[in-house]
Amino acid sequence: MTSTGEPGQRIDAYLGRLRGMLRGIRDEEVREIVEELRSHILDKASTSGEVTAAGVDAALAGLGSPEELASQYMTDNLLARAEISRSPVQILKSLFRWGSLSLGGFFVLLASVLGYFIGAVFILVAVLKPFHPHTAGLWSFPGGSGEHELSFRLGFGNVPAGGKDVLGWWIVPIGWMAGGGLVMLTTSIALWFVRQYRRSLALPRG
Amino acid sequence: MKGMEGRELEAGDKWEVQLRKGCLELAILGALWEGRRYGLEILRRLESDSDLIISEGTVYPLLSRLKALGLVRSEWVESDAGHPRKYYALTAAGKRRATEMAGIWGRFSTSMDKLLAPLAKEKR
Repeated sequence: MTSTGEPGQRIDAYLGRLRGMLRGIRDEEVREIVEELRSHILDKASTSGEVTAAGVDAALAGLGSPEELASQYMTDNLLARAEISRSPVQILKSLFRWGSLSLGGFFVLLASVLGYFIGAVFILVAVLKPFHPHTAGLWSFPGGSGEHELSFRLGFGNVPAGGKDVLGWWIVPIGWMAGGGLVMLTTSIALWFVRQYRRSLALPRG
Repeated sequence: MKGMEGRELEAGDKWEVQLRKGCLELAILGALWEGRRYGLEILRRLESDSDLIISEGTVYPLLSRLKALGLVRSEWVESDAGHPRKYYALTAAGKRRATEMAGIWGRFSTSMDKLLAPLAKEKR
């Protein structure tokens, strides 16, 4: 259903912008979201019988900006998915979309990418250690002013001279535990931020 | 700078806000207990019966999350207003969840009332 007249155009413009931002949500669901909001706006705007421009403006103001509303749909979608599957891939995908809509989301995304990346490196080194027993692991190299630099090596290529394998075979259990723990911790922290964000918008301000 | 009293009041407000936010899901499930309702009806019900005023932009994404979790289902119904409305109703899982949450709420508020009874007496 499309709305007619000037108030109708405002509704269409608002819903059009919202539709454009609801990425990652199934088409059919997006259609339902848009139609449900249209129905809400028309109900709100026509309490005195007729749909007026002022009524439409008030109804749209009540819903918040399309960015904010889309951001809420995305985060709720993410929370619902996370309750079913805690796959880092799914969570990152949703965070990418949220990060493009909100500054807070962008920072949560950056932190999550970092957390998952470091976790993945730990796990990768643990996986590769049995294949490259003499080169993979956590290595220490003498730095400039007597300090040592630590670096993870996956075991491809030769180890530069002077290097020392710090953990030896301990990297296997430690890598699995630290990597797995970091991935889980990143997921929990990201979801905590998503929930805080959602709650911060739940009640009307002021 | 705010005085001590002002700061204490602010902390009380903050606590109340947190408390209200924590109850949102239960409030929505509760508003659907007696039968199907559409979004605006749910909002109005919460306003009139619980003075739990939710910002409008929040209730719809929240309903879609409850639906994704299988706690509510939805259907479109034609209305006299000339446009269809999306009605929500509790699923069996939603009813279970609501009962469970209401039970926890009941036990918690009873025990808090007991604990706070001396305060209530003093006030009188």
